[in-house]
Amino acid sequence: MKDCVLKTNQLSKQYKHQVALNKVNLSIEKGSIYGFIGQNGAGKSTLTRLVTGLAMPTSGTVELFGETDERRLIQARKRIGATIEQPAIYPHMTAAENLEAHRLLKGVPGKECVQKTLALVGLHDTGKKKAKNFSLGMKQRLILAIALLGDPEFLILDEPINGLDPMGVVEIRELLKKLNSEKGVTILISSHILSELHLLATHYGFIHKGELIEQMTLHQLEDKCQQYFHIKVDNTEKAATIIETVLSTNDFEVMPDGVIRLYKYLDQPTKVSTALVNAGLIIEQFKSMGQDLESYFTKLIGGIQHG
Amino acid sequence: MGNLLKSELFKLKKDTSFKKLTLALMLIAALFPLIASIYGTEQISVNELFLTIIGKNNYVLKLIPCLLAGYFIASEYSLGTMKSIASSGNSRIRIYISKLMVFSFGAIIFSVILPIGMTGTGAILSQFNDMPDLKYFAQIIIFTMLYAAAFASIMMLFATMFTDSGKTIGLLILIFLLFDGVMFMLASKITLFEYIYNYSVFKLSYDFININALESIEVFKLAIVPIVTYVIFGLLGVLAFQKKEIK
Repeated sequence: MKDCVLKTNQLSKQYKHQVALNKVNLSIEKGSIYGFIGQNGAGKSTLTRLVTGLAMPTSGTVELFGETDERRLIQARKRIGATIEQPAIYPHMTAAENLEAHRLLKGVPGKECVQKTLALVGLHDTGKKKAKNFSLGMKQRLILAIALLGDPEFLILDEPINGLDPMGVVEIRELLKKLNSEKGVTILISSHILSELHLLATHYGFIHKGELIEQMTLHQLEDKCQQYFHIKVDNTEKAATIIETVLSTNDFEVMPDGVIRLYKYLDQPTKVSTALVNAGLIIEQFKSMGQDLESYFTKLIGGIQHG
Repeated sequence: MGNLLKSELFKLKKDTSFKKLTLALMLIAALFPLIASIYGTEQISVNELFLTIIGKNNYVLKLIPCLLAGYFIASEYSLGTMKSIASSGNSRIRIYISKLMVFSFGAIIFSVILPIGMTGTGAILSQFNDMPDLKYFAQIIIFTMLYAAAFASIMMLFATMFTDSGKTIGLLILIFLLFDGVMFMLASKITLFEYIYNYSVFKLSYDFININALESIEVFKLAIVPIVTYVIFGLLGVLAFQKKEIK
């Protein structure tokens, strides 16, 4: 098993009578990009706040770079770069001054890293413009620059592409991928834009009402979100028999509404339709479908809510 | 801790409220003696000018740092920048102490601008006419700094609890304006309050003007009370900050 950068053990957080996080056992492998998915108020920010030391757990432990002792945890947090919730910048300072304040705070040697980091996020030409006059996208880039200062080994990013224009989204995505592949930076990223997360993450964690309901790798998710043919015919039973006998496969499902989901012959739609028509069936619907991350998440949450 | 102090000093240097308030006090320090010398009938007595300033400087000591507490301390919470500081891998004790030290430094700067600036300007304009006793001048400046730091420690605790600039400024000004009156009223009815008030920095900050007429035990009391206040409120602040959930 690979080393874990972050592990939580039965981590819980309760605010008065409200359980914000309930016995969460999360683990993030070194070198992975972990997509953290959940609705508003599901517990994503609570977990990141516990990991970064902004709040104290009610019970359970946080293990960061193998450290669980409170003093060592504080030291381990020096190896983290984090952006949590709203843009946290000094509005009366320029981008470079904001970074300088954080460089001094983190004790990062050498002033040159300020310009280098600003260039990395595309803010090197903002000059004397105060941060309060930045657009939301520029503020997001600045926050990311602050998190990247001092070459952290583990990045915790909360909605990092919020407010970015399409080009900015691509740039930040590529930057994060580059940091991950070239420098081995582990990234925990939460975003509401699941399609974007799908292009980036190698691992996923789904959180709902304070409980971590599922963790999986990208491969496992792809298996679960597999493509299929959505087939509706006038006689479902006969169609099922034809698929089994003529097409020689059991890799299909009959849904309660009579729709057949066929997971084989995805590159041969003509073969499938011909077999059904030749058997005298009338095809009412025939289309290629598949789940994306969004529909998988919706189904997962829906299943729990209705369960 | 060095990096935390450097960072806080950098932020204080860049703080708009600190810069504007310093500039405003410097302007007053320069203009007041200038106007007095232009429109006054007699030549300025620097000693009299100094005595006038230190009588009024109590308000600067108590009220001006309230604004800095709001903009420099509480705003860290409302802006969300305290999250970056608290998750930076530094212990909360160190974070609080470094912030307190730099905030106290800012309050001390405010507190000495008028006595030093006005006396200096008055001395130049009057060609050093009737200068104050140097020992007395130095004692007053040192005590002014001590009391400014003690008040800063109290303000910092409240700013940490309120975490909102406007609320902090409003409530601190209210507390610092009303404290003397409320305590005076309570002290007249309950002896314990009289005792507390007599040994508080609020009461003693009026007394150190008469330092040259006091006995050494009284001087010791004037010196030890702000130091103890600074330490006690500093410790209370550390405790409050350690238990604080940073939102």
